[in-house]
Parts: sequence; structure tokens; C-alpha cells
Amino acid sequence: MDRASGKADSTLLRVEGLKTYFFQRSGVLKAVDGVSFTVKAGEVVGLVGESGSGKSMTCLSLMRLVPRPAARIVEGEVWFDDRNLLELDESEMREYRGRRMAMIMQDPQTSLNPVFMIGDQVAEPVKLHLKERGRQAIERVLETLYAVRIPSPETRLKQYPHQFSGGMRQRVVAAMGLSTSPELLIADEPTTSLDVTIQAQFLSLIRELQREHRTSVIWVTHDLGIVAQMCDRVNVMYAGRIVESSAVRRIYKDPQHPYTQALLDSVPVIGNRRPRLYQIDGQPPDLRSIPSGCPFWPRCPSAMDICKEQYPPQTATGGDDFVHCWLAEQ
Amino acid sequence: MAASEPILEIENLVKHFPGPGGFLQRSSVLVRAVDGVSFKVQEGTTFALVGESGCGKTTVAKNVLLLERPTSGSIRFQGKEVQRFSRRELREYKRAVQAVFQDPYSSLNPRMRVMEIIGEPLQVHEGLGGRALRMRVGELLENVGLNPVTGGFFPHQFSGGQRQRIAIARALALQPRLIVLDEPVSGLDVSIRAQILNLLVELQQNFGLSYLLISHDLAIVEHMSHQVGVMYVGKLVELAQKDEMYGNTRHPYTQALLSSVPQPDPDIPMGNAISGEVASPIAPPPGCRFHPRCPLYQETAQCREQEPEWREVVSQHWAACHKI
Repeated sequence: MDRASGKADSTLLRVEGLKTYFFQRSGVLKAVDGVSFTVKAGEVVGLVGESGSGKSMTCLSLMRLVPRPAARIVEGEVWFDDRNLLELDESEMREYRGRRMAMIMQDPQTSLNPVFMIGDQVAEPVKLHLKERGRQAIERVLETLYAVRIPSPETRLKQYPHQFSGGMRQRVVAAMGLSTSPELLIADEPTTSLDVTIQAQFLSLIRELQREHRTSVIWVTHDLGIVAQMCDRVNVMYAGRIVESSAVRRIYKDPQHPYTQALLDSVPVIGNRRPRLYQIDGQPPDLRSIPSGCPFWPRCPSAMDICKEQYPPQTATGGDDFVHCWLAEQ
Repeated sequence: MAASEPILEIENLVKHFPGPGGFLQRSSVLVRAVDGVSFKVQEGTTFALVGESGCGKTTVAKNVLLLERPTSGSIRFQGKEVQRFSRRELREYKRAVQAVFQDPYSSLNPRMRVMEIIGEPLQVHEGLGGRALRMRVGELLENVGLNPVTGGFFPHQFSGGQRQRIAIARALALQPRLIVLDEPVSGLDVSIRAQILNLLVELQQNFGLSYLLISHDLAIVEHMSHQVGVMYVGKLVELAQKDEMYGNTRHPYTQALLSSVPQPDPDIPMGNAISGEVASPIAPPPGCRFHPRCPLYQETAQCREQEPEWREVVSQHWAACHKI
């Protein structure tokens, strides 16, 4: 790889062996079970998986926002630049969270406070992190609302969330995240509640802003279409682990893990007619009793004996790509 | 799949709701949820209604299921006007037309066992009981790929996909002719969706069912349906056989919808997003309802003032647009 090109290829975030568990009366739920990945400066990295695969909990762990005391980060390192975020105390963490890394949640309804004006809500991170006040803060807010293409931001500033449509609300949430010009943006399924034409607007907006500011993005989604359009690199998650990591084109043209392959074959694609969709039988495992060996083996069409016994090691597949599968190991 | 007879004919269906009004005060505005929609579902085929939220597709489904009364227009089932049904015919209709809804968590009563959920329509309509009922429920569970012994379980003991199978088994219980599928897989995980979609196709082939599929997902619609109608703010804008609709898209709104879908292939970039938002059914734009967002609109008075005529642009392909 061209490490020589300097800044463009430098690593912004490095996650090592992250484990986040829920401690319940019925047992330990391993939501994130040893996740490692990197995000380079200006790179858009997708976390793809079904519900319960651990993608959202991975993000909350990076922000150190896991619900406590129910869950705890039990192991791992999260290196942002040259600091391990998991070793910071709460006040140091605040320098990162909201300032250098921001998060857009799935549901714009619940991430905005219904009783405060939009302007005040977008101004909050500006005042808190950039220490800007008065006219200066308002200017900054207007600038961000303008950047996310909210029409007539001067009047919109004094309106309440209920006066905005779903798509506009999600833009406001994006504006809140982007107002401090963070280096890393974590977007947790930000378009699931939007209609397809509105989703298309939001996707191209974020892509444009990302390119303009060279922001690194972690994009969480279950939609393989969005991944193809948004991401440079894809991490496929299953049962709390990353089972495959590849450059985006490779994932679609030459998937290495049987789960990735199965996911791609199971979604209907416009213009690609099949009489029958490939069907992954069974269900994702219960995270309280993950099967031994590779957690995908009960559903895997090419499971072998060794798959039931041992978790497959990481196999490099060229470049920074890797897969965890005994098939690749052979 | 050459269709024979239409099983369901919707003609000029209109449904207006009273809009948001004041407390103690009658509202004076109307929500034009469905504003003159006509289509036919052919026996043994799937007709899909596609559109964004608020376009009225679910309201059409509710009218078909008699959960709403149409403001005007007609619904004919097997050639007979539903509104003029006798009590006996109505009972027959409610047997023949069943539904599967989006959310299998709220469509199954959490206090009833699966046996009771699927058995209830059989008790009510066929007076089945005891061993015969248990046998029939077991058979239905097998039809949808569940083990008959699960009949004794409660809904919370199942995953989302399995619950949707239970909802499908309940819909099949009375050997219906038509099933309304209102976003049947939107609430399910990607790997489970394929299971349910395959099951629905299989059941259609085995039992000769007709489906009215309500969906916002154009890829699922292409996979499942034979005929497609695209709705925008209470009206159909385009209607055609699937191959014609996807191969020879005519209406700019349908084209916009198709190009907005992110394709799972990095080499097929997304088309340009259309601007603006879905218009409100309370005050739909005059003329063509799509004109404020339409990429073909060029300040022409025709688009702005005159409602486009619903016409057959190619044989068996209807659209409402001045620019075609």
C-alpha cells in the first residue's frame, strides 16, 4: 500500500480487541466480542450486520457511551491519534466526545429535544466545545445549517423540532454533529427512518460534506446498497465480531466469507432477477450462548468439522483486507 | 403468468379524512389520503402499490380490508360490489380476504398461544374444535415452515421472522383468495427477509393466491410482483406490468424513485437525488402534484395548473404526466 502518500493514509482511529459485555442475571451477553479495525483520515468505513451483530454497541463503546451499569467495556483499546480513549478520565474524554468525534443517531425524533428551539440545540456543542458565545455562536450555527442545506436558516433557527419534516430533522441532527468540525463522524443508521428520495438527498449531502472536509466516517447500516454508495472500506459483523474486512469494491465482486456471500445473495436487487432468493436458514445466534467455534457454522453452507470447534484465525487476503474463515485458511 | 380474471377491481377510490382541527371545533381542512385510484388485481398474481410515506398506499389497503369506509368509489371483489354485499356475502368476503401486517410484534396477541392465534379464525368461521382444530393448525404451521409442536408457545418465544410466519399461517387458515401484504418484511432482518419472501412466493404458487403488496422497497416489489402501481400524494402516477415498469419507466417520479435506491454495487453510482419533499395531502400542489419536485418541469403553466390526464401511454402501461 502507498504509505508514502503521508497524511491521506494516516490512521485516525485504531480499535484493538474491543469487548463490551452486558451482565445480566441470566448470564453474560457478549455484544461486542473482540473487535479490531482502523479508520484512516478521510476514510468512510462501513460497519455492516444484522440486528444484534454488535455494530451499534461498537460505536457506543468508541464514544464511551455504553449504558451503565448494564454493560461494560471489559477489554480492548481505542486509539484516537495517539491516545487510548479507554484510559482517559471523564473530563479528558469530553475533549474528544462531541469535539473531535461526533455521533448521529438513528432516530431524529428522539435525538432532538422537543421543547427547545433548533438554533439553541445546534448551538449547544458550539458553546460547550468551541467556547463561542453570542453573535459568533449564532453565525457558526447559521453556517452549519446552511451547510446541511436547510432552506432559510435564519427563520428555521427559532423553530421547534415538530415544525421540521423527518428529513430536515435528520439534517439538523447532522448539523449538531458537524458544528464542531469533528475529525470522526459516527453515523448509526441515520437514514432508516427516511423515505427513499429523502434518503438519497441525505446520503449525497453527507458524502459531499465528508469529501469537502475530509472527515473520517464510521457508517453503521444493514443496507448493502448504502454501503456500496458511501463507504471506502467495509467491516462485516456477525455475533459481535468482524468476520470480514475489505475494500468496498472487493466485498461486492469477491466476497471471502460465506456470510458476506449469503447476505449479498439474499437481497433482491433491481435489475437482477432471480426466481428465488438465496435463503440463510436459521437465525443469528443468541448472544448469551454463542455457539463454539465459528458462530456462523450452524447457518453456513460450507461448514466443516473444524468450524464447530475452533474460531477461525485472521487470514490476510491482500492489502489491509482480512477474513475469519477456515475456508480461507486452507 | 397470463392472468385470467381480475379478483379485485378498485375504481376511482377516494378517501378523505377530516384534517387536524381545533378542540371542540370541526376541522375545515381535508386530508386527501387517497384521491381517485383505480387498478385491478388479477387472480393468482401480485399487484404492488409502491410509494413513499403518506402517498396513501396503506389507506387503499385499509379500504380493501374494510377497516375504512371509502369516501367514494367502488371496490369489486370477483365482479361484485363490496358495498352492496349482503351480510352473508360480507362474511364470505372477510374469509376470502386476509392480511399480513408489517410489525409481527404488535399483530399477534401476546397473551394467546400460537394454537389459539391461528385457530381463532377457524373456530369463528368453520366451527372447528378439538382434535380437528389441532390437526388443521399443525398443518398450517407446517405450511409456513414451523414445527407443529410450537403451537403451544406464546409469541414472545419466537423471533421476528418466526412471528411473521405465524401471522402468515393465521392469514392462510381460512383458505383465502387474496392476501393484503402491508410491508411484510420491513420489520425483519436482512437474512430473514429472504426466508419470508421465498415463503410468500411458494405459498402463492401452491395455493393460487392473489396478493396486494404494499411496499416502499422497489427491489422487493420487482422481485415479488406481476403488476406495479406507483402512488404519489393520493394518486397513481404510473401503472404497468412489472417488466414494462422497470424496463420502460415513463413517469419522472418513478424514474426518481428508481434512481434514489442505493444499488449494492459500487460501480453503479446513485442517480441525482430529486430535491424537495413529499407534498402534503392536506394541500397538494395544484396541477400535477409532482411538479414542484419534477426534473422535467420547466415553468410551464400546463404542469402547474392542469391535472395531468391518466392515459395509456403504451399498450397496458398507464401514466399521468404532461411531459410523456
